[in-house]
Amino acid sequence: MELVIEHLSKHFEKKEVLRDIDFTFTKGKIYGLLGRNGAGKTTLFNCLNRDLKSDSGRFYIREQAGEREVKAQDIGYVLSTPTVPEFLTGREFLKFFMDINEKEIQDPRPLDAYFDYMGIGPEDRDKLLKDYSHGMKNKMQMLINIIARPNILLLDEPLTSLDVVVAEEMKQLLRNLKAGRCIIFSTHILELALDLCDEIVILNRGRLEEVDKENLDTGGFKEKIIDALREEEHA
Amino acid sequence: MLKAFRISFALKNTYRVNSILYSLKQIPLVKHLLPDALYKSRGLKIFGNVLSGIWEVLSAFIGKALYLFLMVAGIGVLYEQAPADGVFLHILFFLTLIGAFMNTYMFNPTNDKYYAMILMRMDARAYTLSNYAYTMGKTLIGFLPFTMLVGWLRGVPVWIGLLLPLFIVGTKLFAAWLFLLRYKRTGRCTNENLPPKVLWPLVGILLAAAYVLPAVGWVLPVPAVLAAAGLLTAAGVYAAAGIARFDAYGEMYRLLLAEKRSGLDVNRTVAKAVEEQSRKAISQEAGITSGRKGFAYFNDLFVKRHKKILWRPAKRVAAVCLALLIGMLLLFRLRPSVMERTNELLLSFLPFFTFVMYCINRGTAFTQALFMNCDHSMLTYSFYKKPRFILKLFQIRLWEIVKINLLPALVIGPGLSLLLFCSGGTANPLYYAVMPAAVLSMSVFFSVHYLTIYYLLQPYNAGTEMKSGTYRVVTGVTYFVCFAFMQVRMETLSFGLIAIGFCLAYCLVACLLVYKLAPTTFRLRS
Repeated sequence: MELVIEHLSKHFEKKEVLRDIDFTFTKGKIYGLLGRNGAGKTTLFNCLNRDLKSDSGRFYIREQAGEREVKAQDIGYVLSTPTVPEFLTGREFLKFFMDINEKEIQDPRPLDAYFDYMGIGPEDRDKLLKDYSHGMKNKMQMLINIIARPNILLLDEPLTSLDVVVAEEMKQLLRNLKAGRCIIFSTHILELALDLCDEIVILNRGRLEEVDKENLDTGGFKEKIIDALREEEHA
Repeated sequence: MLKAFRISFALKNTYRVNSILYSLKQIPLVKHLLPDALYKSRGLKIFGNVLSGIWEVLSAFIGKALYLFLMVAGIGVLYEQAPADGVFLHILFFLTLIGAFMNTYMFNPTNDKYYAMILMRMDARAYTLSNYAYTMGKTLIGFLPFTMLVGWLRGVPVWIGLLLPLFIVGTKLFAAWLFLLRYKRTGRCTNENLPPKVLWPLVGILLAAAYVLPAVGWVLPVPAVLAAAGLLTAAGVYAAAGIARFDAYGEMYRLLLAEKRSGLDVNRTVAKAVEEQSRKAISQEAGITSGRKGFAYFNDLFVKRHKKILWRPAKRVAAVCLALLIGMLLLFRLRPSVMERTNELLLSFLPFFTFVMYCINRGTAFTQALFMNCDHSMLTYSFYKKPRFILKLFQIRLWEIVKINLLPALVIGPGLSLLLFCSGGTANPLYYAVMPAAVLSMSVFFSVHYLTIYYLLQPYNAGTEMKSGTYRVVTGVTYFVCFAFMQVRMETLSFGLIAIGFCLAYCLVACLLVYKLAPTTFRLRS
């Protein structure tokens, strides 16, 4: 399975944020999407999630059986600020999700098994989500996004605001999840991208470029990326 | 000192001009005509400066004129037992005392003070004294024409009117000086938006003195007011010297403006307040559960945990309507003459109820709660946006809002028929059916209308800001049309039938549109 983007463009007023993007993401890998503040990482995600209409271009899924449109259930989108329905308890939210997706979820497990998997303690499962801490809301959001096993998982700066323990748990979780799907992970923290991701992609001047990661020690690689990003200033 | 004032004035003016340009950019249609580099355009800057200049001059006068006309002279007219000039001076005297410590300028932690003294590190004393002098000068000049004019209209000699602004400014100076002394003695600085607790009862007493005493025919004798005013003016002169000598403005403002460090972004503050408010609306009550499944389960829990904002107001309106109905029936008993007039009105007054139904419908509150506490977060999940799920939830929600709005409508509709019957009735029995049917269909209409425009225009972005001009226009037009119906006089039977027909047709079209378009329009705005 591959996610193929062809000639994708998006502008706001006169500013071209995405310029004729061509890129193919392959399953089984975590892609680190690096870009400076305001480079358009969130815009790209919003276009892929169809929260934003692109000006031109298309994206689709390529499988052995051929090409097909990206459907809503293909995508899981985890935002940096966790958004959960605050009027529900963790358990109620999960039950609701399982109810309405019962046909799509292949091997449903008991609700508590999912909570165990995410490390959400028994005392928190029946609390209203509005009383959850930031990190727990984030886990809940992640859980909902991975149960349905989406083919593409978009993560927008997901670890930036988590404490070190939760961040480490999440990293491990993402590594376990990458088989069978593409995970695109946007961040502007270089170290995080190098630590977690299999491929590094730079969003620079509205275009996506893959950075060759092989045969380079971390130090040199870092320089290379910073140089690439700095070019923007002279553009 | 003059230089400090010039710089701070220019600074204030710059961001005032920028706010004007920013507001222009928010107006639908106009925004497309403006260039992107809005704040660079010289022409626009000049235009903004002209507006800002006009505002600076007008603001010196308008507020003061309104205050004297409405709060002092306007309310003063109601007291007939006391002499007009006495009432005017009496009210003005007590309100001036309140204003002196509730409206100080000096102790109001505004953004311009933060920008100038904290961010730009201007000399606090030079900044404060020059701006304070300017503000007091503006107060003096702003009041002058109106204390003379309004005073003269209420029989106060012009020479007193001429001196009154001196008294107002003098009292302000005196109060400011007292607050500065308080800081020197105790180290506590005054924030006029959060005044010390002891001031509230004092304000109450002064307000009562201003407005209650004249009602019982007692006002301060004019010579007494003049003597007190003279004393306060003299105290003001003394205080001015103290204010000029005060040397700790820097440290005082650092304390006063400390809270600004984290909360300068107005949008974020508003968004936070909205979030806080929405969160409070969620019931903490334990034991709320639901035996349903899927979306019915989801909606059921939403409604049960938001009973306070969804059902309670509808129940209250229904109870008030019921009380009014019973009141009318009692009135028929006590004053039979009312019956005839009511009967007449009922046969031609149905269009008026369009506006009544508009006012009591809970559509806006319902959709707002839906967004703030539910869709705002749920729309970030892609599964939630599957077309069949959107439509399924739309159906469930439509039924919910229809039920909420029907509650008062079920009192009003049959209530009107009952009133018609008890006030003498009518020969044509069709009226008894058409009136309630029209009211009920209007109720359904508003439910459908608000939910439809919410689904088709979904006006909010992820930061819960309203982003759609079209949505504003549609709700505005809805208001005007309903308001205009108050002026319509039409025979109840014909209007009722037209209304029923229109509402049914509208609901049909609206639902079709939602089915066709909502899967693409029901999204978070960016």
